[in-house]
Amino acid sequence: MRLFVILLSIFIIPILSAQTLDARHAPLASKSLLLDITLVSQDKLVVVGERGHILLSSDGVQWQQAQVPVQTTLTAVYFVDEMHGWAVGHDATILASKDGGLSWQIQQHLPHVQKPLLDVLFHDVDNGIAVGAYGLFYRTQDGGENWQIEYHNEFLYPEDQAYLAELKSQDEEAYLDEQGSILPHFNRVVADGRTLYLVGEIGLIAKSNDFGVSWQKFDEIYQGSFYDINRTQEGNLLVVGLRGHIFRSLRNGTPWQQSSSHVTALLSAIVLSDDQRIFILGNNGVVLESQDDGASFTKHIQKDGKALIAGVWYKNNIVAVSDVGIKTIKVTK
Amino acid sequence: MNLNSLLNIVEATLFRRRLVVLVIFALTSIFLLFQASQIKLDAAFTKHIPLNHSYMKTYLKHQANFGGANNVLISVCDSSGDIFNPEFFTALKGVHDKLFFIPGVDRIQVKSLFSPSTRFVEIVEDGFAGGPVIPANFQPDEAGLAIVKGNIEKAGIVGSIVADDYSCSMVKTSLMEIDPNTGKKLDSIVLAEQLENEIRAEFEQGNISVHIIGFTKMVGDVANGAKGVVTFFAIAIAITTLMVFWFCRSLALTVLPISCSLIAVIWQLGMLSTLGFGLDPMSILVPFLVFAIGVSHGVQMINSVAKIVKNGKTSKEAAQLSFRLLLVPGGIALLSDTVGFMTLLSIDIGIIRELAITASLGVAMIILTNLVLLPLLISYLSIDSKTSKQTNNQPASDKVWRLMSAVATRQFAVVILAITALLYAVGLYYAQNMKIGELHAGAPSLHETSRYNQDTFLITDKYAISVDYMSVIVETTADACTYYDQMDIIDRFQWRMENIAGVQSAVSLASIAKIVNAGYNEGNPKWRVLSRNQQTLVQSIARVPSSSGLLNSDCSVMPVILFLEDHKAETINRVVDAAKQVASELENDTLAFKLASGPVGVMAATNEAVEAAQIPMMLYVYGAVIALCLLSFRSLRATIAVVLPLYVVSTLAQWLMTELNIGLTVSTLPVIALGVGIGVDYGIYILSTMSVKLRHGASVQSAYFDALKERGSAVLITGITLAIGVSTWFFSDLKFQVDMGILLTFMFLVNMIAAVLVLPAIAAFLWPQRK
Repeated sequence: MRLFVILLSIFIIPILSAQTLDARHAPLASKSLLLDITLVSQDKLVVVGERGHILLSSDGVQWQQAQVPVQTTLTAVYFVDEMHGWAVGHDATILASKDGGLSWQIQQHLPHVQKPLLDVLFHDVDNGIAVGAYGLFYRTQDGGENWQIEYHNEFLYPEDQAYLAELKSQDEEAYLDEQGSILPHFNRVVADGRTLYLVGEIGLIAKSNDFGVSWQKFDEIYQGSFYDINRTQEGNLLVVGLRGHIFRSLRNGTPWQQSSSHVTALLSAIVLSDDQRIFILGNNGVVLESQDDGASFTKHIQKDGKALIAGVWYKNNIVAVSDVGIKTIKVTK
Repeated sequence: MNLNSLLNIVEATLFRRRLVVLVIFALTSIFLLFQASQIKLDAAFTKHIPLNHSYMKTYLKHQANFGGANNVLISVCDSSGDIFNPEFFTALKGVHDKLFFIPGVDRIQVKSLFSPSTRFVEIVEDGFAGGPVIPANFQPDEAGLAIVKGNIEKAGIVGSIVADDYSCSMVKTSLMEIDPNTGKKLDSIVLAEQLENEIRAEFEQGNISVHIIGFTKMVGDVANGAKGVVTFFAIAIAITTLMVFWFCRSLALTVLPISCSLIAVIWQLGMLSTLGFGLDPMSILVPFLVFAIGVSHGVQMINSVAKIVKNGKTSKEAAQLSFRLLLVPGGIALLSDTVGFMTLLSIDIGIIRELAITASLGVAMIILTNLVLLPLLISYLSIDSKTSKQTNNQPASDKVWRLMSAVATRQFAVVILAITALLYAVGLYYAQNMKIGELHAGAPSLHETSRYNQDTFLITDKYAISVDYMSVIVETTADACTYYDQMDIIDRFQWRMENIAGVQSAVSLASIAKIVNAGYNEGNPKWRVLSRNQQTLVQSIARVPSSSGLLNSDCSVMPVILFLEDHKAETINRVVDAAKQVASELENDTLAFKLASGPVGVMAATNEAVEAAQIPMMLYVYGAVIALCLLSFRSLRATIAVVLPLYVVSTLAQWLMTELNIGLTVSTLPVIALGVGIGVDYGIYILSTMSVKLRHGASVQSAYFDALKERGSAVLITGITLAIGVSTWFFSDLKFQVDMGILLTFMFLVNMIAAVLVLPAIAAFLWPQRK
């Protein structure tokens, strides 16, 4: 009987988890919690967010809702070219589009994992990685037909690595449980030429020269989380994170110098303008502006105090996503 | 035993023992006067709602858990536009402390910048950090105020405790059901007075203004407004007295019907008090009606007495004869009023039933006071026939009646009926647009310009607060809030409802849990989800207390609160329809969405009940009126001639409501029934004289001329006294009294005009033409 239940659960759980509801078209979709935005081509924007909302726009004003097969909250979107894009989110969901974001197909949807993916990156239409909470890491080499999980235990302290190895030999189940929660959150992965940068929980900054197969951790400079990393127009590295922390590295990684943000809000995204300015977006309506490549910042707090989560430079403004939807932030020089 | 012999016995008994009867009347009056003096103003909330409506059953079922509706919000504002100055903080602290000590205030729930529970929480590297917004060592100086300003921003209380533009700050509390000092039910009116005297009067000075809203304060303001009614009553009595004097030119004949009508009012109030009813601001209407109806019947009586005295009889004989003449037609007219009012009993809203009882009781009293007591008193008077000469021998008025009787000829009747038909058609067309429910912003009982509503507008404008909200109650199993699947359904319901036009925003345990979950994840919005992991879900709910009104103690009941843009009926209907639709899609065996609580939930139920009651009520009223007409005239023609004009006037009244933006509500619904019930009197008076003449072979025109001579001036006086009584309400502080006043005045006057113009015109075609 018990065997039957186990068998049943093995066969039924995947079927159940495959049952998803299509995202509903809602008048307020463009005003709801949206979590990532990307520029697909010259004019075309794609945003993703709560309840499987994916919206497209060719002018930053009118938004059209895409056909999405899930109602799961989507956290990140990446387009490798004008047609091929991927979106990831909670329930370890991975969606793919081959028509420039108009329609989407499920590549992975694993509610039982109970963890979100937080970012996705593709090198070409075949090779991509998706990262998320508790070190969640998936890789595909066939455009997302198959996704393989990877555990990057190189981010663990040696004693944790030893503990995991010991556990594996003693109790397989406890090991899997522990492996699923011991790694830090991977918040963002960014490509800079051939190099990948990864930032995350507990001050994680790492880089990879082999598209994420192996990672080199930077020296620890901060205990809190980082949310975005980018190379500035002048070629320096900038990383932002919890409680208004901004660090800047002039020579490819070391030494890091802290820039003052004058705020204590969570800083979530770096937006580079085409006129040598750098903007940082954050919670509580924080917009920081630097005109000296990130050495110093001035703050422009948005009046409504809403969390600004991601943004792109678009027609001399920032188009950002927030917990109340899409916002155009005018930042005239 | 036929009617005549019965009348003989009654008449003989009463008039032979006049003194005994008068003593009985006097004793009864003294007793009921004492009782009437004990009557209390009573504005219980539950009387105004249809308690048996399914929404209200949901509301009452969960009232204990989510009662919290009885809140008081006090916004202290600084006219300089900035609260960060020592004077403001001193005043704010004063208001907080004063409110804290008012009996009946739930002290734990007193919340303002100064309450220790107003804290800020910051996310730091290793979790949360925080403290009270106003630190213990706070000094209202520049440095201290700067710290507080920073803490306010961190605490995220802008929009709730502090106004969006930092010009006001809120002190709020909820009230207890029972006054702990007395152990009795909390007296809203007393508490409202304390708020006014001890808080507003004391702290509103200079730059500081104090704005108070909440159900209790509204009840207090409505009660204050209702007190103005006493003045209106005095004015109505004065004008009516002048009218009656102008009619009869005799002081004694003026004082008697007025006094008898007042006695009817006292009896009615005394009976109410004895039966345990209070006086509601809405049923205050009834004494006016009773007085006016009493006077109009009194006028009939003195009219008759004077006519008989003129023919050389003594006043005793005249009184006795008039009693005999008027007891039956007067009795039938009053009975039809009573029956008209009784039909209101069929409507399942407490206050309308109360109105039905008090009004029918009052009208029944008139039968005793003005048809029995009045002739008895008159019989003691010595009226000389000269005084009454002027009244009854007026050739001038005869000329007018002669002219008017032309409407009963077919060539004039055609014109009248054509105009009536046209008015009816236009009226019917526009009456279709009559709206159900309250059409104006703010508390509907009060004017938009009233202090209370102005304060409401200020508070809803300055803060992210809406007073127009509806709660959809989620009923599910115990601990349901710890299950992802159930919470997900609630979350999806909320989102679907947020997308309905008219819904401004919404909140539920699910939406709060998502925000808390993000809070536990460093405030990262990407974690603003319901966790599928039960422990994590529990963690995000644990911080929400049941006093938030978002869950009961075992979270088997969780409301989804929908904040609406307004409480117009069309908005409410759209939202209610959508809620039912979405609920039916999302409900399962263990989770149900139940409509509806909150102020707009109550309005939705009331609107539905009022709308549902409208047609049955009209059917009952007209059914009763038609039955009484058939019974007293035994003629279908006569019934048609009486009822048709009434029906046209009812339709015109609905057109008037559309034009004046008066919605069909609990207070205006009974007006139509009252208007028809009383309006029928005119027709009965006129047609009862006409039908006798017609039966004796008179032409319609001459029958109508005779009716006018006999009753014309009395009918006019009746219509005008009734209209005067209710028209004083135009000046009431209470919006619904103004609405009722306008509609009743219209019904009384236009019904009278219809009875003297349309009724004879119809009669001209229903009865054969004779010369």
